[in-house]
Amino acid sequence: MNEEIISVKNISKRFGAVQALDNVDLVINKGEIHCLVGENGSGKSTLIKIISGVESPDSGDISINGKLYKKLNAIDSMREGIQVIYQDLALFPNLSVGENISLNQRIEKKEKFINWREVRDIAEKELKSIGKAINPDDLVEDLSVANRQIVAICRALTHEAKLIIMDEPTTALTKNEVENLFKIILDLKAQGISVLFISHKLSEVFIISDKIAILRDGKKVGDFKAEELDNEKLVFYMTGKKLVATKFKCEIKQDSGKPLLELKNFTKKGNFLDINLKLYSGEILGIIGLLGSGRSELATAIFGLNKPDSGELFIDGEKVVIDNPGEAIEYGICYLPEDRLSEGLFIEKEIEENLSVIILKNYIKSGLIQRKKLRTDIEKLSKDLNIKTPSLELPVQSLSGGNQQKVVVAKWIAANPKIFILDGPTVGIDVGSKSDIHQIIRNLANKGIGIIIISDEIPEALQNSNRILVMRHGRIVKELESDCITEEELNKIVIESIPKQPEKVSI
Amino acid sequence: MRKIFKQNEIYIFFIMIALIIIITSFNRSFFTLENFFDLLKGHSYEGILAIGFFLVLLSGGIDVSFTAIAVVGMYIGVYTLILTGLNNIFIALLVAGLVGILLGAINALFIGVFKIPTLITTLGTLSAFQGGLMSYLQATKQTVISDPPTSIVNFGKFAIFRIVTAKGSVIELSIFGFIFAFFAILTWVILKYTTLGRSIKAMGGNREAAKRAGFNILRIQFFIYCYVGFMAGIAGLMFGSYLRYIDPLNLVGNELTIIAAVVLGGASIMGGRGSIIGTVIGVSIITILNTSLVFMKVPQYFQQAVIGAIIVISVSITAYRQKRKDRETRVLDVA
Repeated sequence: MNEEIISVKNISKRFGAVQALDNVDLVINKGEIHCLVGENGSGKSTLIKIISGVESPDSGDISINGKLYKKLNAIDSMREGIQVIYQDLALFPNLSVGENISLNQRIEKKEKFINWREVRDIAEKELKSIGKAINPDDLVEDLSVANRQIVAICRALTHEAKLIIMDEPTTALTKNEVENLFKIILDLKAQGISVLFISHKLSEVFIISDKIAILRDGKKVGDFKAEELDNEKLVFYMTGKKLVATKFKCEIKQDSGKPLLELKNFTKKGNFLDINLKLYSGEILGIIGLLGSGRSELATAIFGLNKPDSGELFIDGEKVVIDNPGEAIEYGICYLPEDRLSEGLFIEKEIEENLSVIILKNYIKSGLIQRKKLRTDIEKLSKDLNIKTPSLELPVQSLSGGNQQKVVVAKWIAANPKIFILDGPTVGIDVGSKSDIHQIIRNLANKGIGIIIISDEIPEALQNSNRILVMRHGRIVKELESDCITEEELNKIVIESIPKQPEKVSI
Repeated sequence: MRKIFKQNEIYIFFIMIALIIIITSFNRSFFTLENFFDLLKGHSYEGILAIGFFLVLLSGGIDVSFTAIAVVGMYIGVYTLILTGLNNIFIALLVAGLVGILLGAINALFIGVFKIPTLITTLGTLSAFQGGLMSYLQATKQTVISDPPTSIVNFGKFAIFRIVTAKGSVIELSIFGFIFAFFAILTWVILKYTTLGRSIKAMGGNREAAKRAGFNILRIQFFIYCYVGFMAGIAGLMFGSYLRYIDPLNLVGNELTIIAAVVLGGASIMGGRGSIIGTVIGVSIITILNTSLVFMKVPQYFQQAVIGAIIVISVSITAYRQKRKDRETRVLDVA
């Protein structure tokens, strides 16, 4: 088993003033599941680009299957059996599953014509080899994210892949789907195919990997066997700091008075049913639920984006009806959406503009915008939240995921919310920024803001809230004080709430 | 069966049938072989232009310069015959087609090499192509060719077969319908059975993925715009032969009719979606509407409003269905 697929030695790469990689080694053996972890900007993507031949290193050696490459280009890398599955999967939504699996290979082989029978056969063979029953004639746009990923894996297999690199494959998957994906990865391993797995979810890293390579600031910290590490050590190696996980304590005394927000029998058919909850000033309420449990639908309903069928909503004890986000903001409600890229940010616009979008109206004097005042306030805000950027005039997309999320948070903080709902605030964000964001949220609570965190990461919810609601099938099935429960116990409750349903092939 | 009904083509096919029934109930002579052949003769060139526009749309682009290419191809094709004295339709077709390819290549150059957005490029070349022709004609003091060579006239009159009815009237099937059918089938085959055709569709679905998969996007774009240009040149010559009047100011300005037909046929403005059969049905509906509205004495400006409404409504329907589909594919597991 100790046959080397790829070995890179002393790789260095510099972009302008940034030393992206500094003397990095990486060896991946046949049939090995290797995890690459590191914070944003630690050089993970540069390393992948070098292995896949997209970028060439300034110095260092790359040898693949025993062959030394002075200059590796993308086609050589593919020919040697290295396949990258990027986070966006790069599929063609308007083509069938079969075509998506076989088209690239046909183009590579310079075939002029399409034999539809062959397209089907290739697809069926690959789907069968990883044991998945997806109809090759279905359009990719009709598949669930998990099934799309399977299509992307099958496509990689048609290239006789020896090493498949997966860039954060689990971000948009439900718990069941992640388990399925892991089964497939183990299957690939059994077939002698190596996998380089990149993830920010450390719990997954421990489950799946044989070896863990850690990068920090472009340097390799080391290679570890999964059993040599625990969460604390891993985080320490990644960040170079000891991030002490403290628990949130609700500091503001609950004046037994009115709750900031109260829902009574909040119901929308097919979304959430009979929701009763109270949120007090200064507390952080965690809502745990799996993808599809109705958690996000509930959040959008409170924010006026998803009109409920029945039920009542009270703010400071007064019954109100919220028909649109504008009204929600008037009542002091803010909402950080699950998908920050498509719903939370104007990704191509400047950071400054993103930050000012909610509060702009407060800076208008006799019909004109007070640019200077706005600018000073925004600069202060971005400093307070530790948004790392050389200039606020850069587009948001130039930032790392963690800093992008800080922009979304900052935008809402500027609006002085009374109630702040955060849906998946740290999805796809590295550990360092993650703890920054948790700290920001806690500070807000300490100032008296009522906060709801929606998450499927149990440790996150447990550490950062004083009360937890578990949601399942659109209902709240459990309410807990987070002091009174351990992670294991809570985990059990959530897992029990996973429905035992037949696997859905396509939705 | 359920899959068939999901398809857009079925809906618009029924719309077409309904339209035919309604119009026939007003006007018995509408649903006759004679009228059908007449429509085919007079509008096949529009069908060819629509297929070209569809192909560009499928690849994720928009081309509005096709009418200008058609006019330029038409004029130069006929003018070559006059200039050389060669009275041969094949030479005219060849020249018109080559001019189309050349102008298409100019489009592809700007779009593929200089990476200028397709709409901007073709809006520019639309004016440039026709303006260029007009200024040449003005400088050489020429205008309309009202008396084209006989081969052109005969091409317009050429019929595959003739039927003489009992009443003594003659029904002819023009060659134009065949040329239209030829291009429709050829394009369908390219799209369905060649790697190039699949690449065109794939590129319209996800440009970034196409790039990463190593598609030769520049080559694909040159093919698309040259092929579309070729079809436009031929269509232009057909149009001129049909009218027997070669006017360089014709056609340009009618782009919207073609665009309406293609969009009605189910092609998405965003690229990657649609079909040849849908495009053919779309053109048929627009043609039926346009001609029958004249029959019914509907004022011309109203017709224009109808065409505009069709574009807006069919784009809205496509967008609405996409939205519904997005909602259906969302994961929700709520009892």
